[in-house]
Amino acid sequence: MFPLNLQTAFIVEEVSKIIKESVEAAIGGNAYQHSRVNQWSTSVVEQCLSQLSKLGKPFKYIVTCIIMQKNGAGLQTASTCFWDNSTDGSCAVRWENKSMYCIVSVFGLAI
Amino acid sequence: MEASDTYLIRPNHQHKFKPAVVKECIREVVRERLSGLRYDPEEVPELSRSLADCIKDKVKNSGFDRYKLVVQVVIGEQRGQGVKMSSRCLWDADTDSYAEDVFMNDSLFCAVAVFGSYYY
Repeated sequence: MFPLNLQTAFIVEEVSKIIKESVEAAIGGNAYQHSRVNQWSTSVVEQCLSQLSKLGKPFKYIVTCIIMQKNGAGLQTASTCFWDNSTDGSCAVRWENKSMYCIVSVFGLAI
Repeated sequence: MEASDTYLIRPNHQHKFKPAVVKECIREVVRERLSGLRYDPEEVPELSRSLADCIKDKVKNSGFDRYKLVVQVVIGEQRGQGVKMSSRCLWDADTDSYAEDVFMNDSLFCAVAVFGSYYY
């Protein structure tokens, strides 16, 4: 089944833009603070999800966010999916500032 | 996954995504593969990919036929840094669910999340 309609396809650039805006808005100029990380990651994820649902596409979304303090340690993320390649898609964005990294992944599963 | 002609809009109880079962799958695979391992930046990309594939296959074989799966594996080095991982989903709470597990040893930590979404 191919989505012939752009209105119902998972468009990576569009989602990537939404993620970048949400991350900027939630943690933009801040330095890593342990006491605020909970609130930041919640707000990044909730912002992303509400912008995605405003797109009005027939998708179920899964948004994950990892915020890590910079101290020289390494981090690797991998994901694998069992889905329909023609209709579903994912997008991951890596953002950083001087004191922390933020990796957001969005998976869109067509209904 | 092809469109099949059953018109089931809800999974029956046996076929529902069971977080406890999936969590156990994750636990077994991760403990077996990562116990005693040290964080090695050369090997970690391959390791995380193969862990994700292994977990996905194990969950598929547990009988969740009509479920689309998303498996995410995060492996990081333990150096005293702070890390926070969170997720939110927009889905059908009756049919969809997730399972997660975290494994830690002295040199690395590994967080795995498996999301299952019913395909109507």
